[in-house]
Amino acid sequence: MRHRTRWIAAAVGVVVLAVVVVLATQIGSDPRADAKTSQLAGKPLPEFTVRTLDGTTITSDDLLGRSTIVNFWNTWCVPCVQEAPALARFGAAHAADDSVLLLAVVRDDTRRAVEKWVASRDPAWTVALDPGGQAALAFGTRGQPETFAVSPDGVIVAYQFGPATQADLETMLRAAGGP
Amino acid sequence: MTAPGDADVAADGPAARRLRTAVWVVLIVVAVAALAYALRPAGSRTDAERVRDLAAEIRCPDCESLSALDSQTGSARAIRRDLRQRVADGESDADIRRTYADRYGDSVLLKPASDGLGLLVWGLPVLLVVVAGAGLVVAFRRWRRTPTLQATDADTAIVEQARARRAEP
Repeated sequence: MRHRTRWIAAAVGVVVLAVVVVLATQIGSDPRADAKTSQLAGKPLPEFTVRTLDGTTITSDDLLGRSTIVNFWNTWCVPCVQEAPALARFGAAHAADDSVLLLAVVRDDTRRAVEKWVASRDPAWTVALDPGGQAALAFGTRGQPETFAVSPDGVIVAYQFGPATQADLETMLRAAGGP
Repeated sequence: MTAPGDADVAADGPAARRLRTAVWVVLIVVAVAALAYALRPAGSRTDAERVRDLAAEIRCPDCESLSALDSQTGSARAIRRDLRQRVADGESDADIRRTYADRYGDSVLLKPASDGLGLLVWGLPVLLVVVAGAGLVVAFRRWRRTPTLQATDADTAIVEQARARRAEP
């Protein structure tokens, strides 16, 4: 009996020690670290459909053959407003280049607010609505602004969470095979 | 003084054995019923129930700790619409969970995975229950083996003599 008790105590001790070791190795690691990166990096562009304010439909297939920057934003989002000048400079710099597309997808906003914003800013890039939020879902977005660079062969090659500078956008464009 | 084991014989009568058998039968019935409930086939749920259960398992991407079922953000609404479509298209729950994990990472699933560190989360409580159960079995056996001592007439006489001696002036 005494030996059996010792064996049981030893077994419990080993289990407790193993649990302590496993938990100790997890200290400092963030269980939600994957929330800070895009799982789509290096993967094919997801299928999506968005619609511009004049009713033109843009699908994922329309991005093929061009280096594309896809930016998710909202008019009510302060970081998006702060990012807008960088998008304006980037859009103006590549406006004449048909091999480059800057597509700004409204993530969660009203059509009226977007129309008002576009009328007052006259952006040099394509603005599209995402009814139902399906494109934002397909890209696995967690907020706004979020920006993805897509290569001409339809692979997501770079992304950025939060506001991007013009330099960030140019770097992402080069990663996507752009000028 | 009675010999060790006499009390066991008394406690092991037909009535005690029947009671013990009844306790075991009840325990087994409860355990089997709980297992059957936990492992009931998913096919018995309606599509709406599957969508609700899946939405409760998926973290709202732009919330801190709410599920897509509880949140009212645009993302949560989009997820619920997407889940309805996927369930209607005949995708399995496992496939849908995998799709969301591929898109957002494993942290989008509110239930821990059943492998890696998640195995510890699921397995540790079970292990503790098993170890505690084994401990109780060992303890109960020890208690049963401990003889119950009953005073004989001779023991009573000795005590009476001792009391009488103390009572003497």
